[in-house]
Amino acid sequence: MKNIHELTIKSFHEGLLGKKFSAFEITKGYFDWIDEKDKEIGAYLSLQKDEALKAASVVDAKVASGEEVDVLAGVPMAIKDVILIEGAPATAGSKILENYRASYDATVVKKLKEVNAVFLGKTNLDEFAMGSSNENSSYKLVHNPYDLSRVPGGSSGGSAAAVAANMALVSLGSDTGGSIREPAAFCGVVGLKPTYGAVSRHGLIALASSLDQIGPLAKTVEDAAIVFNRIRGRDEMDSTSVETEENGFLEPKLDYLKKLRIGIPKEYFAGGLSHEVEKGMAEAERKLRSLKLEFKEISMPHTKYALSVYYIILPAEASANLARFDGIRYTRIQNSKFKIQNLRDIYFKTRGNGFGAEPRRRILLGTFVLSAGYYDAYYAKAQKVRRLILQDFDEAFRKVDVIFAPTTPDVAFKLGEKTADPIQMYLSDIFTIPANLAGVPAVSIPVKKYSLADKELPVGFQLIGKHFREADILGLGQYYEKA
Amino acid sequence: MNLIDKKTVKKLAELARMDINPREEESLVSDLERILEYFDELKELDTKNVLPMSGGTFLENIVRDDGKGERLPGEKSVDQFPEKERGFLKVPPVFE
Repeated sequence: MKNIHELTIKSFHEGLLGKKFSAFEITKGYFDWIDEKDKEIGAYLSLQKDEALKAASVVDAKVASGEEVDVLAGVPMAIKDVILIEGAPATAGSKILENYRASYDATVVKKLKEVNAVFLGKTNLDEFAMGSSNENSSYKLVHNPYDLSRVPGGSSGGSAAAVAANMALVSLGSDTGGSIREPAAFCGVVGLKPTYGAVSRHGLIALASSLDQIGPLAKTVEDAAIVFNRIRGRDEMDSTSVETEENGFLEPKLDYLKKLRIGIPKEYFAGGLSHEVEKGMAEAERKLRSLKLEFKEISMPHTKYALSVYYIILPAEASANLARFDGIRYTRIQNSKFKIQNLRDIYFKTRGNGFGAEPRRRILLGTFVLSAGYYDAYYAKAQKVRRLILQDFDEAFRKVDVIFAPTTPDVAFKLGEKTADPIQMYLSDIFTIPANLAGVPAVSIPVKKYSLADKELPVGFQLIGKHFREADILGLGQYYEKA
Repeated sequence: MNLIDKKTVKKLAELARMDINPREEESLVSDLERILEYFDELKELDTKNVLPMSGGTFLENIVRDDGKGERLPGEKSVDQFPEKERGFLKVPPVFE
């Protein structure tokens, strides 16, 4: 059997069709490795062993009978625990959903089930996807596979660490302000935040609905493109979703890509990058330039305001979205320490004891910026500056086709290093937030192929594209990996 | 400028229907105060003639036809309620 550590989606598919191994064997192999490895990583909150092995057997039966199967058939995937799989837990990393079992499949899960993908389990995350280090999980920490004393990034920390440590071939995460790309960069994997509207969020536990997108984390850009292709498209259950076409991201053409103009926004490089990231960005730029593309310096003057805008809009939307966890429709927190006597007690006790510190902080902040007297000064102002940030992108994309930027200011930081200071933690997302505010697609790609044995901490760079031009960033990314 | 004090935090918690532990009031006051101070940078931007961006999408008026569609079967939709009776969500009295 092929070593699971070397598999990509296509090599898995070829091996499966060539009868080099069965989907069952590979799935079993992943579970054996998870049993051994995840004790020190903490990437998974729950495993679906029986269901996964059963799904793998279905694929094996299809292959044995000569039936044509999809390229994702049998592919062992990990799913962030904010995305619903019917019958499986969906904790969102929160005690308030500890005993919840999903009643239905998210649209992305439904689509992946249709092509017989295999779900190994649900991955750890910051509570309700609020965080940049996975330290806000109410269950356990995730350790970075490259250095166990460091964070994996967040909020999709488990999804990134699972792929980096070969405990899943690919995974799904969600990205509201960098929650796919930042952990991807910290863990040396590829992470794609698709265009707003490219992927249905039906069945994703909502954080900030005007920003959330689901996307893949993978070992290669090609793998990310294959998964993106299967989960994209219009869905009646998410009115923001849009039908799209496979516009060249699966088999990118070099003569087309060579015509793309690359923009280097000076605001993203204006100091504040750590030595490692600066070095990594120089290497990435050198490699991209070897593809003989045209480079231009551009300016996006409102970049520095993105963090403020985000931390007004996100808590505002989150405080509304989290109102549904009221102890009536979902888990009710009962405790011998307090008495529940009436409806008011159910609300206050469930929410006060069920939410962790970060969701509580953001609910209060969101309530504040939306409250009478402060709405115009904060929320309305943020919406206006959000438009200025979008206009920065519009302006930039008149001159260039793709924007090249760092994913994070620094490499993975130490566990506990930033937990005491919310603003320091929030600044980890300063380079990823603008793409969410503008709704454009962005992919984080490791500067080079990192090896867990080397212990060198990974650096990721971003390619940011025009709305619905995933083909440009994924296409360039695929050639970058070969360069 | 002090926008946030313990009284404000208590009022926000009341609006959000969420108990706050008296021991964390102080840290919430200082965290929120610092975060709001950070937002002050937005004041330097003139946004008088800027239209607010109210969502992530440029779509308008997305509707679907009225009609029979796929729905969660009854038992599945009530399955996760903390209290239920004969297929209905059970809630405590609202008026007492």
